Formats: sequence, structure tokens, C-alpha cells
Amino acid sequence: MANTGVWDKLQTVDRRILYLLLIVFATVSLFFKVTVPTKPGEPVKDFYRSVMDIPEGKTVILQSDFTQSTRGESSGQMEALLRILMRKNVKFALLSVADPQAPLVALNVIRAINQERKAKGERTYVAWEDFVNLGYFPNAEGTANSMASNLTTAMAGRRENAPGKGPTDVFQSPVLQGIRAVQDVPAYINVTGSKTSNILIERLGKKVPFLAMVTGVMGPETLNYYASGQVKGVVIGLNGVAEIETLMDKGLKAENGHPAVAGFEGQINLGRGTGYYLALHACLTLMILAIVIGNVAMVVTRRKK
Amino acid sequence: MDTTGSYPLIKLTVGALCTIGLYSVLYKETKLYRFFEHIFLGLASGWALYFLWGETLKPTWWDRLVGTVAEGTNPEVPGYWAWAFLLPIGIMAYFVFSKKHNWISRVPIGIILGLWSGQQVQVWFTRYGAQMENSMKPIVPNTWSSFIVPADPEPGALYPSQAIGNIVFLITLISAMSYFLFSFETKSKFFNKMTLWGRWLLMIGFGAIFGSTVMTRFTLMIDRMYYVFIEFMWQGLLRRP
Repeated sequence: MANTGVWDKLQTVDRRILYLLLIVFATVSLFFKVTVPTKPGEPVKDFYRSVMDIPEGKTVILQSDFTQSTRGESSGQMEALLRILMRKNVKFALLSVADPQAPLVALNVIRAINQERKAKGERTYVAWEDFVNLGYFPNAEGTANSMASNLTTAMAGRRENAPGKGPTDVFQSPVLQGIRAVQDVPAYINVTGSKTSNILIERLGKKVPFLAMVTGVMGPETLNYYASGQVKGVVIGLNGVAEIETLMDKGLKAENGHPAVAGFEGQINLGRGTGYYLALHACLTLMILAIVIGNVAMVVTRRKK
Repeated sequence: MDTTGSYPLIKLTVGALCTIGLYSVLYKETKLYRFFEHIFLGLASGWALYFLWGETLKPTWWDRLVGTVAEGTNPEVPGYWAWAFLLPIGIMAYFVFSKKHNWISRVPIGIILGLWSGQQVQVWFTRYGAQMENSMKPIVPNTWSSFIVPADPEPGALYPSQAIGNIVFLITLISAMSYFLFSFETKSKFFNKMTLWGRWLLMIGFGAIFGSTVMTRFTLMIDRMYYVFIEFMWQGLLRRP
């Protein structure tokens, strides 16, 4: 048998060495404050246009279905969305169906963005006045069906602490004033780490403009719904976060019959998406290198044998 | 993340230890990994139980059964005894653990299946109807004023570049669907080539989906590294901005 030493070894590298390399690549890249340029795609542009089109003072329903397990993607999406909603003074009703931990995780993100706003001397979002936490609903399909047919029945019994009143029916809050059906809100936004966006599309249909922020795993499937108009805009994974942060920073020029949309100049726009983007590219480069080297080694070994 | 004060640092330290403990499985499945795995399972289960009672069963079942007293601006709501019927139906599900009486658990499962099945016709059409409608695309351009879509397109115009995109879409759709015709033997060379082409296109699709999935997994790992090395070590321990 021919001696294929190095090439054989390259095909049998211990997986733990690859893990270590991956961790080193990712960690070292995080310390470099380099903004990798990105060109936003149509799904993210449509998402941005739709959110920026929501009139000031209106209420949207924000279904947050992620926990710490998808923090890398979903948290960045939620942060970008909250920054836009709060800057535009859009109220929101928060609910979760995917996991009992989801409402607390969403409230933590709201708290973090509020701290950011407070540090800049901006008005913070107050529970009851600016947003209400409708809580956790354990049956995604049943909840979506119920909301589609009657929002007040679906949310019956849900209470939130009103200033000076204690636990009060959420429909008495300024956030849900005049809202009795899903059709009454200008947008239904789902930030999800699971397939709850599909369930909402199936049950809510075209009753309300639906916007989704999904993980990379759910991305390709969700694009089908975007192409058919069932979803008005989609932000997919970390790439989507970097794209929407770019749009928030630079705005959107007039194109394809759509008017120009302004960005938020001089404000904190670049966050988790842009921060992790270099590390993602470093990891992907490592993976591509590993695949190329492994395949070259395989071909060389076969030829020598 | 706010990393000032001692309590946030304790929180960050516990989080970092748990992350490192769970990531130790990459080296080997050890007792350390098992320890942290069980902590997570216990916490998640405890939290879920608390939430299911506090956020769901109490407001949507118990309070409606026993009623609520007047409090602040909330009026008194009388209880309604019929809600009690849900309790035995729910308990029936637990008979799944009994070898002798597990047939009882089929009653609530049957109810759930019935409700589920009843929804499916509407759900299926709402999900796929719009996609079927969208798959019927025009393939002949109706304007030649520009090859690609200009910045300010004419309303209702189909530009040549769009028509080409639609043709590619239709070829992909038909060839990928033809791959799934398993019910009869195909002898036509054209049809066989089309199914082969469909298989290739499906593989390209699966490759794109796999790439997107890998990107997600990397991002989740990057975020954990950010938590351990930036939030915990750099900002928490070393107090750097």
C-alpha cells in the first residue's frame, strides 16, 4: 500500500480539535469590532418597510416564541424590532405560545432595550401604558384559532398590573383600547425559534398583515410563505439581523415602486447582528476549509492507493 | 447586558459555569455534563409547571370555575360549575400509565384528535391554497421597455427578467413534483430526464436548507462564546466596556 501519511491524517482529524478550532475562530473574531458589509435582501426590506409603515401610537400584537436556546438569532431580531417600535412609539401586546420560558426571556429583552434608552435620556416603555404582557398560552394551534375567531375570548381572564389598581383586565389598558379582533391591529409580528409562524399562517390566514422573524433553520420554509404573500416580510437568522440593522442605520432608497424609508441616523442601530457577523464568517470559512481539505485529502489518498 | 453590581456578576458566573458544563459534552460525556443537564431539565420542568398553573389553568379554568371577587376596577365574576367537567377528562389522560385501564386515556386523546382533524381541511387550504395560486405565474413578458425591472416599474408590467425567473420557477416546480410520481413505471425518456432533473434540483434545495441550518448552529455557538468570553469575562470579571 502506498504511503499516504499526511493526507490520511487530514481525513482522521479528531473532532475535538475541530471543535477547539471553531471555538477559537468564533471567540477571537468577537473581539474585533469590524463591520462586515451586507446587502439587505427583499424579504428583510419588506419587513422593514412594513414595520416603518405602522402609524405612531397604534398597537401591534407581538408573539415572542423564543428562549435562551436561540438567543444568538432571535434575541438580536427582538432587539432590532423593539428599537424600531419604541422609536416610532408603537404599542405592543406581548404573548408567547411556544415555551413557558418565552415570556420571561422577552421581558428581559424589553428591559435591556429600556436600559439602553434610559442611558441615552430617551423615554422608556412602561408596562400597561406602552405594552401589555398577555402571558403564556400552552396550545399554539388552539390559541391561534381562538384569536382568529374572537380575540377577547382568547385573552379572557388575562390581567396585568395597572398603576394604582393592581391586576386589571388587559382590555382596559391603553394598549388594547379599541382592539377586539386581530383585524384591528396593523400587524401581527412573530419572533420565533420554532415553527409557530407556520401555525399562525395556517390559522390567521390573511386576516392581518403577518410579519415573521425566524431562525435560519425555519428560513427556507418561511420564504415560501413570503413568496406567496402570506407573510409580508421575513427576517431570517443572524444574516437577517445584520441586514435589518443595516437598514436601520442607512435607511432604504426608493425602488421597485416603493418610496424611500428613512433610517435612524445617530442612534444605536448596529447590535447583535453586526457584532456576530464577523465571527459567523470566520466559522463558515473554517467549515469550508475543512470540507475542501477533507475532500482533497480523500481524492489524493484514493489516487495513491 | 448590565454587568454592574455583585448580583448580576453571580448570575453571569452561574450562567457561564452552566454553559461550560454543557459544552463539556463536546470533549466527552462526563458526570459534570450530566450534572448540568439535570439542573436544566429540573429548572425547565419546575418553571413549566408553575407557568401552566399560574398563566393558564388558574385564569382560564380555576377562576372561571370558582369565580373571582371584586378587586379594584375588576367586577365580581360568579363561578360556573360546568367547568368542573374538564377535570375528570384531563385526569383520564393520566390513565395512559396504567396497564389495566389505559383505554380510558383514549377518551381525551380522541377528543383532541377530533378537534385537530376538524381543523385540518381549513388549515391545509389556508396554508397551501395561496401557494398553489402563487405557483401559476405568467411566462410571457408584456413589456420590452427594459430587460430588468427598473427602479420605477410600470404597474402590471412583466419584464423579460421576471419572465425568465418565472420560467425557472415553473420548470423547478414541475420537475420536482414529477420526481414524486411513484405510482406507475415511466418509460418516456423525456419524463425520466425530467424526474432526474427534479432530483438534482431537490438536492440543491436541501443543500441550501442544510447551509442555513449550519449557519443557525454556528450562531448559537457564537452567542454562547459571546456570553462566556465577553459578557462574563470581559465585561463582568474584568469590568471592561
